[in-house]
Amino acid sequence: MAEKSPPKAAFAASGIELKTFYTESDIPKAHRARMNLAPGDAPYQRGFHPAGYRSKPWRIFQLSGFGKPEDENERIKFLLKNGETGFIMEHDRNTADHCYNVDHPDVVARREDVGLTGAVMQSVRDTAICMDGLPIDTSFGHAGGAVVQHAPFALAAYWTVAKQRGFDLAKIAGTGQSDFNLTYLGCVTKEQIPTQAGLRFNADIIEFCDQYLPRWVPVSIAGYNAADTGLTPDQELGVLFANAVEYLDEIKRRGNIDVRSAAKACGGVSFRASIQIIEEACKMRAARLMWSDLLRQRYDITDPKIANLRIHCVTAGSKMTYQQPLNNIVRGTLMALGAVFGGVQSLGVSGYDEALSIPSEHAHQMSVRIQQIIQEETGIAHVTDPLGGSYYIETLTAQLAEKAWQFFEEIQGQGGYLAALDSGWLHSKASDNQYKEFMDTESGEQKIIGVNCFRDDESPFHVDGFMGTDDAFDVATSRLQDVLRTRHETAAASALKQLEADCKGEVNIMPAMMQAMDAEVTLGEIGNVFRQVYGNWNTPIQT
Amino acid sequence: MTEDLPAQISALLARCGEGDRLALARLLSLLEREPAAEGFIRTQLDSTPAKSAFVIGFTGAPGAGKSSLINALLPEACQSGAKVAVLAVDPSSPVSGGALLGDRVRMQGHSQGANVFIRSMASRGENGGLTRTTETAIRLLALGGWNQILVETLGIGQVELDIVNLATTVVVVLTPGWGDSFQANKAGLTEVGDVFVINKADKEGLNQTRVDLQDSLSLLSSTIAPVIAETVATTGQGIAELWQTIRSQTTAMTDAGLIDQRRSLRQSKLVEKALLRHLESQLKELLASETGKSVLSDIARGKLTLEEAYRKLVTKL
Amino acid sequence: MSQAQKRILMAKTGLDGHWRGPTIVARALRDAGFEVIMIGMANTDDIVSAAVDEDVDLVGLNIGGHIDVAKRAIAQVQATRPELPIFAGGTIPPHAAKDLEALGVEVYPPGSQLSDIVDAAERLTGRK
Repeated sequence: MAEKSPPKAAFAASGIELKTFYTESDIPKAHRARMNLAPGDAPYQRGFHPAGYRSKPWRIFQLSGFGKPEDENERIKFLLKNGETGFIMEHDRNTADHCYNVDHPDVVARREDVGLTGAVMQSVRDTAICMDGLPIDTSFGHAGGAVVQHAPFALAAYWTVAKQRGFDLAKIAGTGQSDFNLTYLGCVTKEQIPTQAGLRFNADIIEFCDQYLPRWVPVSIAGYNAADTGLTPDQELGVLFANAVEYLDEIKRRGNIDVRSAAKACGGVSFRASIQIIEEACKMRAARLMWSDLLRQRYDITDPKIANLRIHCVTAGSKMTYQQPLNNIVRGTLMALGAVFGGVQSLGVSGYDEALSIPSEHAHQMSVRIQQIIQEETGIAHVTDPLGGSYYIETLTAQLAEKAWQFFEEIQGQGGYLAALDSGWLHSKASDNQYKEFMDTESGEQKIIGVNCFRDDESPFHVDGFMGTDDAFDVATSRLQDVLRTRHETAAASALKQLEADCKGEVNIMPAMMQAMDAEVTLGEIGNVFRQVYGNWNTPIQT
Repeated sequence: MTEDLPAQISALLARCGEGDRLALARLLSLLEREPAAEGFIRTQLDSTPAKSAFVIGFTGAPGAGKSSLINALLPEACQSGAKVAVLAVDPSSPVSGGALLGDRVRMQGHSQGANVFIRSMASRGENGGLTRTTETAIRLLALGGWNQILVETLGIGQVELDIVNLATTVVVVLTPGWGDSFQANKAGLTEVGDVFVINKADKEGLNQTRVDLQDSLSLLSSTIAPVIAETVATTGQGIAELWQTIRSQTTAMTDAGLIDQRRSLRQSKLVEKALLRHLESQLKELLASETGKSVLSDIARGKLTLEEAYRKLVTKL
Repeated sequence: MSQAQKRILMAKTGLDGHWRGPTIVARALRDAGFEVIMIGMANTDDIVSAAVDEDVDLVGLNIGGHIDVAKRAIAQVQATRPELPIFAGGTIPPHAAKDLEALGVEVYPPGSQLSDIVDAAERLTGRK
């Protein structure tokens, strides 16, 4: 009988070598001592609460938006009707990311793209249309503002509309984003305020929410874009906590509010859920472990209400293939499963048409159905941390946390998170990984079904891109003219001046932003102030 | 050289002289890729009345912000109807011979598009910081009416000296904290700069850097003392002043006859370089020949000393 | 270099800052010996003036949104330098890919082999 060749080496995405099977002795001693706990007990790798999803299912939370504000409003209502349990109001990236109005030459030059990936909202009037009839007080709303320089506008507009409708800001729950890893690492815009100014904005937002919106997650410390740009799961963990430390240290330095309060508010973070699903589940567990340890060691915080990390997850868009897109329904399901095994509090599943366009209605519905089927039909939600105690899961969780801390330390060695962004160090890490990953696919070492194996020559199975609506630009243009013509010009001018003064000074900019929203100041005008006061971030990479 | 190339070049040169950008661009490409074209272009240019151009070289460490600085200076340079060209040089990969030329991206969106010409060039093996054909490229740009030429060289620090030979004025770009990484290279950089710019002047360490720089510069004996400027290219701070400084420094050097002095030094350096290149390729050929190979093996076996080998080979060149 | 250096212009027609795809393609082209001039997010004017002033041998467009935006750039490039080949990648849905092909633009959607893209570059620039 011929000798079988030894099994090929296998690796997790983080580079950790995987054994063919695990036993108890593989689990690092230090971790063994901490693993046999109830969920809800420090250091929380088993999860948030002993009753887990039985007491509260994860939130079905889908990224959504395109076209005119009313188009986005319609799509959000469609998703809510179909069962999502929170809503996300994405803004058009041509205008929002750069804080331009639609009459900016760079936007005009791309007028057909306006409204493609989010609704155009140039003033509080547009936001009001987008929020019409939405359950602001009973649901959990994401106000948009993914990009750091845009966040103050997006948040202030949302809160102003809420106020105008008689809602008590102290009672509304929701989240902002203002995502450093998106803005400065993964999706570098043409123009952006420098990282220091961004840090100032986010600290201002955190402090403002502490005072006026205690139920609001001020900013989302997020790993998705770090991961989708190339960082490995351990690096995603390390960079996320380096980002968190930057915020919390800044809050401490300012001394205006208690760092514990800030940690609690920001303790709703966001990760990518990718396709190596066991590792991804371990990543979420490692995240909870790391947050607990970080808070205790660095900030002396042990309060379970704070040290218990809440996680939102989005499945990896980059893993969705252009070829044979219906296969992506399977991918979305599997990635969702990884997140659920990881015990996340909130989940968004990418559309199966992700590689072609923003989600069609059907793809969007499918993303919700995937989650509902897992929630209702599989029984997985009955038991908290179902994989806990598995020799493999516990070993990999511990190894990931260790590797992640190493990366965290490397970032500190670069001068900290902001320095690592400014210098391009993080970008070069991502870039090297991307290239390697691409080469693995190119060589066939990593098989991607339908892409480098089992291909078909026909065009994707009746799936084509969803291109949104085509009147977003025209309507936005006339609405811009309307607001400029009919608003109270003195109030707007004065509010803009106040904003500029506050930006230049050391006060919190959010009160002036709220005032500016009331006075119907437009996005582009605000952007101009930012550009004038802060200048442009010196991007370390070519984009 | 193919039969119709001289005719093609003559036609392009004529169009270039009339301001045709496409012709200029085509000539620059021919210059770079056809070694035979280089000689012919030079000869033609020699017999054409030269148009003068004010050439500013920008050198300094990678990451100092040279591209952003040039981008910020463009509106200043374009004032009073000047036509400004930028030559941005980036390194070629020694392995593949390819290159990523990414300086242009930092100079985009100029409303003075018609008055700005940007050309990216890969170093293609030269390590003096400039490409072999930069001198001729500058003359072509001048022919095309581009009378202010900003040349951005590789930021590798110690071998920037080529730029001195080509530029009217040399600007060295640094950032706060330069002293730490530049100890070894001080000699090279401090000697070539006419204007020193501390960019990213909003960063920590500005004062110390200025003091360090002043100290280094005070050790030199120059007819016209170099000037130090401070800028934050990304906000525009100090930019208008820098342009004025560059202009006045140039005027001072011209009046003192330094520009002409540099020009003649440049001529002899170029001749020297060309001769060295010629010699080098001849030597390589010789070493690859039978004679060369036997000399090499004799050295290896101890039958010839290096000195003897040299005397033997030099007669064959 | 014994082989004439070929120059490729790479630009993004949308205002979307994702840089992973274009960077990988640029790097692969560089490794294949091309000089790659990257201008990032660029307007039609930027693209055309780069195509002319840099005298490139090939234009590569990364398209992330409506191809109408890209089509304007393509039309201008083709009007100014009719002989210049163009290829495109990015999030291009099937109907849009057909539209671009009708204009003579080769399309490489997500999942395309890098080696196919490099081969295309060599073929289109006349190196092979």
